[in-house]
Amino acid sequence: MLLEYLPVLIFLIFAIIFAAIMLSIGFTLGKNNPNTEKNSPYECGFEAFEDSRMKFDVRYYLVAILFIIFDLEIAFLFPWAVVVHEIGFIGIISMALFLLILVVGFIYEWKKGALEWD
Amino acid sequence: MNAELIIFYLFSIFLIISSMRVVISNNPVKSAIYLVFSFFCSAVLWLLLGAEFLSVILILVYVGAVMVLFLFVVMMLDINLSEITSGFVKYLNEGIFVFIIMSALLILFFQNQFADTNKNIITEIIIISDSNTKNLGYILYTEYILAFEIAAVILLLGIISAITLTHKKKSDNKFQDPDMQVNVKKEDRIFIVKDEDSK
Repeated sequence: MLLEYLPVLIFLIFAIIFAAIMLSIGFTLGKNNPNTEKNSPYECGFEAFEDSRMKFDVRYYLVAILFIIFDLEIAFLFPWAVVVHEIGFIGIISMALFLLILVVGFIYEWKKGALEWD
Repeated sequence: MNAELIIFYLFSIFLIISSMRVVISNNPVKSAIYLVFSFFCSAVLWLLLGAEFLSVILILVYVGAVMVLFLFVVMMLDINLSEITSGFVKYLNEGIFVFIIMSALLILFFQNQFADTNKNIITEIIIISDSNTKNLGYILYTEYILAFEIAAVILLLGIISAITLTHKKKSDNKFQDPDMQVNVKKEDRIFIVKDEDSK
């Protein structure tokens, strides 16, 4: 079973080696004579106006949380889809109830306007 | 088999180091990145145990969730690094308190868990199929149907609480609605008033 994942491992090793080579070439062959002016942060040619760590709009958080919840819902569908022919009627019923509960939540967020940006 | 062991040890070491860095790191954003890496390492360990589906889900869901955590860190904490790094010793009392409680719980748990290896819960699971995903499906949607529906209710709770906490009422944004613009009638725009004096 684990042998099926050998390509993934090879891919991983290759990606690490490739990234290491690229970075080390940049470090060794590139010219590097920094001074304070070069190292100072700038913003489109100007001095930086403000700190980059500013507060984000809370609506990004709402969108992300709603994404995670429906992501989880889909994750529950995968093992169900594999065995749905074998577990029979009770499997259909349990998944129908599961989806029904989450559709209630979906309708709630839709009617509440949480899916709209404005 | 030998290569499997090497991969196990390698990723276990990575997991331990990165999860230590999650706690030790002064920068919360760096902590979140280390958390991503430790999730990835534990996904590899689960894969070695044969839990294919769970390891992929660990990467898909948890890395996505860490993205939310990341956003949360950037959004909620107005990060001022010098403020966070200072006053480390200030929390020494609370730290020692939590440390004692946690280690006591862990010691109790491990003593009970491994005192009698025959009652270990892992031996009670009946393996139906050779595929881990299928085994999960057979059990989750039939035997553990209640837990499955409770998961749905918890997700519903998540939706409702996130909306209640963060959703604001409509802003006074003056955007155009093309549907209303197209369907407007003449009567909506022009109102003819009869001039009574002109008679």
